Amino acid sequence: MSNLLHRSKAIYQQLRIGDWLIITFSLAIIFLLFQTLWTTERATKVQVRLSDKIYGTYSLNQNRDISIQGVIGTSVISIAQGKVRFSKSPCHNQYCVHQGWLVRAGQAAICLPNQVSLELIGENKPYDSLNY
Amino acid sequence: MRKKSLLTLAILALMAITAIAINANKEPLYHAQSYVFGTLVDISIYGESDAHASALANQILQDFQQLHHQLHAWKNNLGHQTRQDSASELIRVNTAFSTSHQPVKISPLLTKLLSDAQALSIRSEGLFNPAIGHLISTWGFQQDNFGVSKIDAEQIQALVKANPSMSDISLQNGEVYSKNPWIKLDLGGYAKGYALDLAVQFLRAQQVQHALINIGGNIIAIGQHGSKPWRVGIQHPRQPAAIATLDLHDGWAIGTSGDYQRYFMLDGKRYCHIIDPRTGYPVQHTQAVTVLIPPQPHAGVLSDVASKPIFIETEDKKSHAAELLGITHYMVIDQNANVLITKNMAQKIEWLDEKFKRNAHVKFITP
Repeated sequence: MSNLLHRSKAIYQQLRIGDWLIITFSLAIIFLLFQTLWTTERATKVQVRLSDKIYGTYSLNQNRDISIQGVIGTSVISIAQGKVRFSKSPCHNQYCVHQGWLVRAGQAAICLPNQVSLELIGENKPYDSLNY
Repeated sequence: MRKKSLLTLAILALMAITAIAINANKEPLYHAQSYVFGTLVDISIYGESDAHASALANQILQDFQQLHHQLHAWKNNLGHQTRQDSASELIRVNTAFSTSHQPVKISPLLTKLLSDAQALSIRSEGLFNPAIGHLISTWGFQQDNFGVSKIDAEQIQALVKANPSMSDISLQNGEVYSKNPWIKLDLGGYAKGYALDLAVQFLRAQQVQHALINIGGNIIAIGQHGSKPWRVGIQHPRQPAAIATLDLHDGWAIGTSGDYQRYFMLDGKRYCHIIDPRTGYPVQHTQAVTVLIPPQPHAGVLSDVASKPIFIETEDKKSHAAELLGITHYMVIDQNANVLITKNMAQKIEWLDEKFKRNAHVKFITP
């Protein structure tokens, strides 16, 4: 064990500036390529808006409920393992709750009466705006 | 020691390069959202500074709010909005139609809107009919908590028999007069389209090269999203996802009428807000109609108006309804989720739904 440690220390000491530059730049290129090429349809975040303001952006990688005081009452948004939905709403028609779980980037749910909206954000947005 | 400091330098340089690369990825895209006309308004502006874009978007939203106060057809029962909403110009006109039978003085803007809406209504052989406000109220759609618990068949029959039509209205010398007391104007299927055209006019006058405006689902494009065209998704009528996407080029507009936007369920049946003026009942044979409008002076208005007659007509007459308003790009999703689409519309869209990708349940028509 100590032999291994000793040897790696020896290698470390033999590395020159050029080697270090190559190593760091390779790591950087891997990082950048990962960022640009690694895209999934699954969303990673949800952006919540209240009226004309962004209320918050939350990671989908958690389990939590968010209560928001909207125009007519309290909306409850549930995040669970990569999915998000309206779970409670003070509105009459409950369209927002009936939308169910959203998972893919670009999916959105709106509660017009309470002026609360959810939009799933991923690495790649499949479209700029939704026609409905 | 020298080695170590060089190493630190290299790492710092690298971090700087990464930061620049990430920053370069951040596009000059400004995005604003607000609630006007009882729906969601979404404005994207590309290629302007955030401060300038935000000032432009605020101006547009203010203009929309102004238009809404002038044109809304019913009172909003939200406490904080009651003051401004209490009596729009349109509500005053409607009250006069039903009570006084005298010509009413109206603003130049309302005169223009009503004469345009009248022309479109006549062209659509009355299928686009903004005069059936009483029918819309009977079905409970002129309120925020819409829906009825019982269908009033007698009243519906009486209202159909009264036959309120835009041709009953005359516009002269800045006044409007209706010879039919059963007319109640509701510009819900027109005002958003007009607002789209207004916003485009404003942004072009301000030399904005690239923008995308969405009012309650109706979208119009200016320029493009950087090096690529603006891309829009078309909502699936029964799922919380897009059914297809398409590129919306400069000056093009898109609009959808759907039975999922405003509806209520009664005894297991869906009643949507789109009412056939000939029967007085909500349309039940169609889930959605999407129209795509090529660049023209009133593209926004057409994107709002033109989907309705096609939605209301039965399948065999849908192409006739489209022809009346000169619509060549459209798509229909019927009650059984089958698609009817014009060939040139099919060339423009990209299905996201696997079934439609294989052209299963898709029927192509020549406009």
